[in-house]
Amino acid sequence: MNGARSLARATAHALALLLGVTLVSFLLMVHFGPDRTWGLLGKNPSQAQIDEVRADLGYDQPLPAQYVRFLGELVTLDFGLSDKTGESVRQLMARTLPVTLALVLPGFTLGNVLGVLLGMLAAWRRDSVLDRLILGGSVAGMSLSFLVIIIALQILLCTPWGLDLFPARGWRVDSLGSYLWYVTVPTLSLVAVTLGYNTRFFRAVAVGELGRDHIRTARAYGASTGAILFRHVLRNGAVAMLTRVLFSLPLVVVSGSLLLETYFGIPGIGRATFDAITSGDQPVLKAVVSLTAVMFVLVQLFADASYRWVDPRVGRR
Amino acid sequence: MTRLLPLLLLLTACSDPGAGPSDDAVTYVHAMDGAPASLDPAQASSVYASFLVVNLYDTLYRYKYLARPYELTPNLAAAMPEVSADGLTLTIRLKPGVRYIDDPAFAGGRGREVTAADVVYSLLRHFDPASRAQGAWLWQGRIEGIDEWKAAGADYDNPVAGLQALDTHTVQIRLTRPYPQFVHTLAQAYSAVVPREAVERYGRELGSRAVGSGPFMLRSFDSARAVMDRNPAFRREPFDLAREGYDAGSQSQYELETLEGRAPPFVDRLEVEFIAEDAARWNAFRGGQVDFIKVPAAQFDQVLAQREPPRATPELAAEYHLSAERESGFVYTNFDMSNPAIGHHPDPERAQRNRALRCAIVNGFDWEARNNRFYSGIGKVFPGVIPPTTPEYVEDAGSDYIQRDVEAARTLLSEHGWNADNLPVLEYGYPASVTEQQMFEQFRSFMADIGYPRERIRPLSFATFGDYFGAYSRGEVMLITSSWTMDYPDAENVMQLFYGPNAAPGSNSASYHNPQYDALYDRAAPMAPSPQRTASFQAMNRMIMDDCASITGLARTLVFMWNRDARMLPDRSFTGGFFLRFVDKAGRDG
Repeated sequence: MNGARSLARATAHALALLLGVTLVSFLLMVHFGPDRTWGLLGKNPSQAQIDEVRADLGYDQPLPAQYVRFLGELVTLDFGLSDKTGESVRQLMARTLPVTLALVLPGFTLGNVLGVLLGMLAAWRRDSVLDRLILGGSVAGMSLSFLVIIIALQILLCTPWGLDLFPARGWRVDSLGSYLWYVTVPTLSLVAVTLGYNTRFFRAVAVGELGRDHIRTARAYGASTGAILFRHVLRNGAVAMLTRVLFSLPLVVVSGSLLLETYFGIPGIGRATFDAITSGDQPVLKAVVSLTAVMFVLVQLFADASYRWVDPRVGRR
Repeated sequence: MTRLLPLLLLLTACSDPGAGPSDDAVTYVHAMDGAPASLDPAQASSVYASFLVVNLYDTLYRYKYLARPYELTPNLAAAMPEVSADGLTLTIRLKPGVRYIDDPAFAGGRGREVTAADVVYSLLRHFDPASRAQGAWLWQGRIEGIDEWKAAGADYDNPVAGLQALDTHTVQIRLTRPYPQFVHTLAQAYSAVVPREAVERYGRELGSRAVGSGPFMLRSFDSARAVMDRNPAFRREPFDLAREGYDAGSQSQYELETLEGRAPPFVDRLEVEFIAEDAARWNAFRGGQVDFIKVPAAQFDQVLAQREPPRATPELAAEYHLSAERESGFVYTNFDMSNPAIGHHPDPERAQRNRALRCAIVNGFDWEARNNRFYSGIGKVFPGVIPPTTPEYVEDAGSDYIQRDVEAARTLLSEHGWNADNLPVLEYGYPASVTEQQMFEQFRSFMADIGYPRERIRPLSFATFGDYFGAYSRGEVMLITSSWTMDYPDAENVMQLFYGPNAAPGSNSASYHNPQYDALYDRAAPMAPSPQRTASFQAMNRMIMDDCASITGLARTLVFMWNRDARMLPDRSFTGGFFLRFVDKAGRDG
């Protein structure tokens, strides 16, 4: 009963959040976003032609009417056609989202798993040479721009100036082999750029946990390193770690892939979103913003549930 | 295996529909530095869209592949138009038996024959508000009855007096006044012929698919690339070097003789990669992922052994062909002449002072520094608006206009009572980018040399070109940085940039108004190219410079590189995408 009540409360919060996000983003998109009128006009346009295009784009409708229409689209999940290409937004999302997921998931997973392992190792050997090496490497990784990493890895791995092992560009995936062929360098780029941040964060969590009384007790009882790190430190630090991992997921999926998709010529949702922002393609923007908001809400609901699972005390508070 | 299932499902969902050409298929991969927004010919407003559209659809005419200066030749049309004695009626016959590709839009899914009614329909679409077309400016007020057709509701079942299909293969067009450039408009992607069935079936989704009769068929299209397969039903017309304007003296190194007698398109698959980022484009080229690129200016030091004329280093020359092309267009900065603070003014004395101010700014502008800093020193600076690629261009037509003279600028300002306290605040507009910002700073430093206080020259940047276009069309920008790519190889296309009736939001972004200029334009524009017309255009060019209406101009030089196994002569101007059907790869021989 208690669980049902808190789920209902979380759902109500989620709906309020969704409405708030859509309202703010709608105002940003429609009121402050690019005006597509002039980009759709030919040369030497007359005022009548300008008015025709504005009417066709729905710019002549009052703002509240446009917002209500947007909510209707959100409920039916039908955002119409892209203003730019004419492609159905639903089809565009179905085409680009799986590509982005396949592109970023290996790097995202590896970046987090390696970050946890390196963070815990550094924390376990705190103030040792190994700790300093890991921290130094993390700072170096954090200091390099994503763009520099991508271009450097492309030159190193994809051109005759380097090893020329992988393609500099493309996404012609029709088998596991071709997938690995195209995803390797983007994955290495993503790992290189996220590992430093992840390692530092997970190290800080592990250092905090390692200083607790129950860890000292476990050590006194002669518990193995593995048991201490993976059974006690990881489990007790899981709330903070889960929060970081889960809440970065929507951003990684929707916007974090932009540079990868642009520089490796991969037709994913990040590139589509960037194009929609710069061109003022409102149907696509509305869909992406709504999708992001829904993902955040779902992540929040999932995070609430998972906190109870990893730390039973959460439910009893 | 069950653990791998989600991954396999994801891979299936995200697999590229353009993947997997057969092993013996000959594929040519072309890189472009931008992507088209739409593949609908009615919206083919960019060079990127045009490149694809003319390969997926047919236009009545095209430009000869190798002839320079550019020359028109029939494409879907059987011959050049039959023109009446008064130049107002054109009769065009279509090649019989040309078919659209198979598509569910057609009855039974089989492409039908392209007819004269399709040509009429395709041009009328530009006057139908529902089609979001962008090419109406080419024909409005020029074809008898077409504006009235739109005013009456744009009903395709209503006939247009000046645009008729006389029979299945004959189109007749009646012009309201002589328009010698008209046939050029029928070589533009805007005029590509679309079937009505496809427009009615797909509506705006035609922007992301293609149902045409061109040399290629669209296989996939997204923000990263377009993949096209050879249209097996494309008409078999043997390639004729002489008819395409081949010049053995300047073109023999491209090995085009091997094309003689074969029917284009010569490759089985055409892929166009959209790579806006210079570093990514260069890496993709050097990594062997694309066959052709426009070389980024940042690579010139690495690529060029000499700049004038551009020549590749020996190491690169062994692997690649290199060619340079002067753009058919130019970059320039207009003054907003509708702004009384700097432009036209009802008070003759103030008008004279404003002119002196504009001329001082023109004198203070350092074209050599601009060329060296932003165009690698290989652009061509020229006075006025008639670019070097046009026959009307004259090398020494006012070279003083592009020579920097700081002392003359300072003198002009002081003689006309301008000083640091009363100079107007200049708002310098541009679409936001690092390069544009750097150009602004350079401009401000030029002006500082003539005594224009830095704080009186302010940047106005805009997130998109559309926003910028809107702002200067509303008169919100005093200095309008622009570039113009010619629509057809005729100087009329640049002279109309300063024609009074084309004032903003039209292409006369300066809103320049000079009755003498307009009268000369009205007289010269309907003329066929002739010494008399050339003299008129040159006089108009002088007027623009005398009035200091624009800081102009520079024609950029584009440098292309392509793999030696690709036999072709690339072009970005009027033959544009048309040349892709003639690209061949040596791999086919082997």
